[in-house]
Amino acid sequence: MMEAERDAEGFSLSLTDISFEGMLHISTVRSPVARGRIRSVTPPRLPAGYRLILPSDIPGKNHILSFGAEVPILAAERASYRGEPVALVVGANPLVAAELARSTVVDCEEEEAVLSWESFSSEQVLSKRIAVMGDPDLAFSIAEETIEGTYRSGASEHLYSEPQGSVASFDYDKLGVWCATQWPYHVRDSVAIALGCKNEEVVVRPTRLGVHMDGKLWYPSLLSCHAAIAAYLVRKPSRIFLTREEDFLYSPKRARSSITLRAALDSTGRISAVDARVAVNVGAYGPLAEETLSQICLAAPGAYACPNLRVEGYAVTTNDPPMGAFGGLGASQAFFAAEATAALLAQESGEDPIDWKSRNVLRKGSLLITGEALKDEPPYEAIALRLAAASDFHRKYACYELVRKRRSGRADGPLRGIGFAFAYQGAGSFLTGDSPNSYTVEVSLEKDLTITIRTSAAACKPSVRAIWKRTAALLLDIPIDSVAVAPPDTDKAPNSGPVTLSRGVTVVNRLVEKACENIQKRRFRDPLPLTAKSVYRVPKPIRWENGRVEGSLFETASWGGAIVEVELDPWTLEPIPLSVWICVDGGLIVSRSHAESALRSGSADAIGLCVRERLDIASGAVTEEDYLSYGLMSPADLPPIHVELCETEKRPKSKGIGELPFDTIPPAFLAAVSQAAGTPFRELPVRPEDLSVVAEEA
Amino acid sequence: MTISFILNGEDVSLNARSYDRLADALREHFGLLGVKADCRRGVCGKCLILLDGRLAPSCLLPVFRVRGREVITIEGFSQTDEFADIMKGFAEAGLETCGFCDSGKILATAALLERQARPSAREILEEMASVPCRCTDPETMVKGVQAAAELKARRHYRRASQ
Repeated sequence: MMEAERDAEGFSLSLTDISFEGMLHISTVRSPVARGRIRSVTPPRLPAGYRLILPSDIPGKNHILSFGAEVPILAAERASYRGEPVALVVGANPLVAAELARSTVVDCEEEEAVLSWESFSSEQVLSKRIAVMGDPDLAFSIAEETIEGTYRSGASEHLYSEPQGSVASFDYDKLGVWCATQWPYHVRDSVAIALGCKNEEVVVRPTRLGVHMDGKLWYPSLLSCHAAIAAYLVRKPSRIFLTREEDFLYSPKRARSSITLRAALDSTGRISAVDARVAVNVGAYGPLAEETLSQICLAAPGAYACPNLRVEGYAVTTNDPPMGAFGGLGASQAFFAAEATAALLAQESGEDPIDWKSRNVLRKGSLLITGEALKDEPPYEAIALRLAAASDFHRKYACYELVRKRRSGRADGPLRGIGFAFAYQGAGSFLTGDSPNSYTVEVSLEKDLTITIRTSAAACKPSVRAIWKRTAALLLDIPIDSVAVAPPDTDKAPNSGPVTLSRGVTVVNRLVEKACENIQKRRFRDPLPLTAKSVYRVPKPIRWENGRVEGSLFETASWGGAIVEVELDPWTLEPIPLSVWICVDGGLIVSRSHAESALRSGSADAIGLCVRERLDIASGAVTEEDYLSYGLMSPADLPPIHVELCETEKRPKSKGIGELPFDTIPPAFLAAVSQAAGTPFRELPVRPEDLSVVAEEA
Repeated sequence: MTISFILNGEDVSLNARSYDRLADALREHFGLLGVKADCRRGVCGKCLILLDGRLAPSCLLPVFRVRGREVITIEGFSQTDEFADIMKGFAEAGLETCGFCDSGKILATAALLERQARPSAREILEEMASVPCRCTDPETMVKGVQAAAELKARRHYRRASQ
């Protein structure tokens, strides 16, 4: 097998740096329309050595599978979104190939694009979820108070470390594929289907992944199919590597969602019922529709106890580009709606938000959406106490209310607000489409008393790999320097599932632990080397059936809360975050500094989502203007982020914490802006023009 | 046209067209892969180099602009004591980068410490805005750069007192 260079830890270098002798470059011919029938694809006169690849050239099946959805590798008869790959141009010079692709004429019979998704037709529904618990109708009929609102989350760009791409190269009877992916085995299986060969005939060698924000779950599989098909047809190493602009314009973004929440309070002021209606725009084909919809619906009640519940969710397909995950698979959007509703209920009751929320939050024994009772006592009280003390929340909240009410105009200074939110992140948290018994980790204790961990999830951060090494070193009482993680190549490492939802810590680390325990039992009985495999088993898989959802929502969870303080610029009304406090109980924290750093960078990204990261995709496509204006917040503009880790369990387990900033900070920010403006907002980012009401009053 | 310049301490020359960008020349002609031409509009900071000691985006620089000047890439800079200070400072602060923005962050730190021996948190964050990336949080970044500044100052003090 042809080898690309590897770094000190044995991982392939970044995709940009991988190159082979005689390698050809692929450029994509894209659909000019959002919806229509493709009549013909006509290239210009192709120079010698350049080739056009059409769907009919694909040796195997023309689709990849993602959680049950089929996404065409090249659109054959119909185009379903603007920019959809229709054909490929392959040749020696990337600039020439790009020019030839641009000059290729795609003749389409354009049809009216379907872009509406909050109101939708039955043909647009790709997936539906309904779950009813208790008797919500009765609870609403006898409620003391009800409140209703629709909360929207927009699309966002991942801005991952490296644009997407793939390199494919044959060596004897196998095809090597190099790409930065969260799921190497998905790439392998997709390429095998596209080429019509056996899975084992394809070897995926993951390249450095960097920050992915869940944008590299399934899309690298599509591009790898392009590279593999080209390599198969031209019999030369082939590379597709999107420019940053091309990547921004055509790769998947965060799925937009609209959640209408109705909540009822009983005579004691507790939440007695919640009715949630969820619509998620998953774009064309909906590659992550099932998963995103499930995750949003499961988190619909947020962190609150609710005995009567109805959740109705729809994954809606449109002629937008395929949409999907962003820093999680949608739970943050549900927490956003639930927390915003809770903030309104607290305000209606005239109570301090922390006091009100702490009274209604999940407790040991509270019923979850799956009907099971919560086994552990969530440490929300401790979290709220710490956050309130650190931020001086109660005093500030009361002061800002008073100042706003007595304010006479701009001369009184800027308006301020402070908001608070709770959330949880399931540990051992499952992809609901997971098939049990399919994700494995292998550990070997060699003759020279070194340990090798083999997992396809090794594309995780070095700090996560350090956690696995530490786990193995501690359990087998071997120096950490003697523990190595094997390259995550599919011919060397078993399938450990996708790297998402903090699974590197919650699933892979547990599997490493189990395998090491197995070795430890046999260590002084059997001769070395010893190898143990451990397989991930979902205790009770999630099932949506007959208007109910059954299964285990999570094994354990990490719990968190956040407070955000904002100020509205008196002249521009721009919301300026002043300070962020986040407190997390993440179970066993192996490296405190890395955990704090992860929470701080997650918080910085979450603040960016609140303030400026927004894509409208109004006409069914991302525009060049979006590309030029979109960007991360400058680190100099970020507010101070205060992180606290609290450990309340006696025997804590390792859990994921990476999603908690995205679950807690946006609703806390929204609550703060709403308090400052004296008007409830339901969408982020809140832009100055949205604050015109305040401007008029001022 | 033939362009001669100093690259990582060595006199080099290459034939370039007027529209050739320095980033491409460094990668393709000199095999310096630490320079990444990602956004090609001078925004991402992955192609940063030191041009006469100042930070410059090589993806926007035509090759002819470096005629007779000194270019230092991460490969050249990695041979210096300053590089060792920065790496040690970053490690002490627990700074974990994504593996793509490292060269930009290291060179931005070097350029800053060259101008300002003890930069403030604000100065550090403003300098780091030239390498936008989701991988590092501001506080750890500040700690890392300040630790590097401390190490560099100590090394200079030791050298001066010898």
